[in-house]
Amino acid sequence: MIKSHPSEAILYQYASGDLSASMTLVVGTHIDMCSICKQTVCEIEEELCKKHLDSIVETICAPDKGSMSKSQCDQMLEAIFNSQVKPAVQREDLISLEGRRFNLPTTLAHNAHRIGEWTHLVGKLWRAPVNLSDDGQTNLIYMEPGAQVPEHSHKGQEATLVIDGVFNDEHDAYYDGDFILLDADRKHTPRTATEDCLTLATLDAPLFFTSGISRLLNPFSSLFFR
Amino acid sequence: MQTVTSHTSQRGVMTTSQQDTAEKAAQLLAQIAESRSRQAFSELFSHFAPKLQAYGTRQFGNEQTAMDLVQETMTNVWHKAHLFKADKGSPSTWIFTIARNIRFDLLRKNKKRKDDISADELWPILAEQNDNLDDDYALDQDILLQEISHYYGQLPDAQRIVVEKIYVEGKSQQEVSDSLGIPLGTVKSRTRLALKKLKELIVEHD
Ligand SMILES: [Zn+2]
Repeated sequence: MIKSHPSEAILYQYASGDLSASMTLVVGTHIDMCSICKQTVCEIEEELCKKHLDSIVETICAPDKGSMSKSQCDQMLEAIFNSQVKPAVQREDLISLEGRRFNLPTTLAHNAHRIGEWTHLVGKLWRAPVNLSDDGQTNLIYMEPGAQVPEHSHKGQEATLVIDGVFNDEHDAYYDGDFILLDADRKHTPRTATEDCLTLATLDAPLFFTSGISRLLNPFSSLFFR
Repeated sequence: MQTVTSHTSQRGVMTTSQQDTAEKAAQLLAQIAESRSRQAFSELFSHFAPKLQAYGTRQFGNEQTAMDLVQETMTNVWHKAHLFKADKGSPSTWIFTIARNIRFDLLRKNKKRKDDISADELWPILAEQNDNLDDDYALDQDILLQEISHYYGQLPDAQRIVVEKIYVEGKSQQEVSDSLGIPLGTVKSRTRLALKKLKELIVEHD
């Protein structure tokens, strides 16, 4: 019962390959968990294929006309037949933290080797960076039961995906597979109750904490999203 | 080629000749996968290379990079033809998604980042073991379906219903979550508990 999905515009950019690496990871991991978006993306890919490939009328490597000559084609075929298979990306399907084990959806499993060390933050919060060598900052965030992230707003957009568990903010409750995109001016206070929660989050600018006490925690923002 | 037909009847736009082309391309891919047929690949290549080249030229505005896109895309097709699944979509859509990934890599290569993320990681469409990955708790190999059907009646109702839907009716965990109106996390934990319980039951009776 995933109720919070990426917009169709985001899915279109995902299928076109136009999102940043970090957003592609978060949206792709949602799609692994969401049969509805998976179907939508398949349909968008069909549309894109019609637009970019099927509509092209040149269909053969002609001897002397067209954009690819016969000799160019033959040369390339030779290179392809002599090429080596690229080594496959290694996937890891499980991660452990605090005695809990979590199954990683396919896309995240293929990036498990990019997950850094877990750091215990304040209270009941843990963070591990996902090193994508991207402009955005991407992290796994683990909230133990009864955890609370200080109220904050963002300078940029924050995308959060629930991998396992449930968390609440003042707007709603979010379960496995829910994808939440928050704009720059939206304030929120994520917290857990009796269940714990593992999320994947990406941010394209540092967080600003807004509530009194947590202003003191501002250095925390650089810890949280790095 | 059932899927191609059902996919398109939904949209009702593909012509018969396009269907023939799709069917032909699927046959060629199967030949490449089964017998590494260079003949079949050359035929597929002459159909798709000019299309890919046009796509690349429009994307990059650069002839050389467009040719790189053609070569790298078709190299993947040559090595990974066995990963094409006719029931999941048309050959040209599959090839398009490979080209989309190569484009992503070529765009980033221009930025020269160290240890850069690759499209293979972000869209693992060419991973070898991609079946059943959606089901986090795909049936443990040491539990046979037969054994499950023998013992699942002994599970508590809540777990039994979930196991029945997943392993007997073949539903995904998401579908079970939707049809029972319970969170996916609950379906997962019930499945986990049920499989644990089933293992115990099977060991006990062995
Ligand atoms: Zn969705």
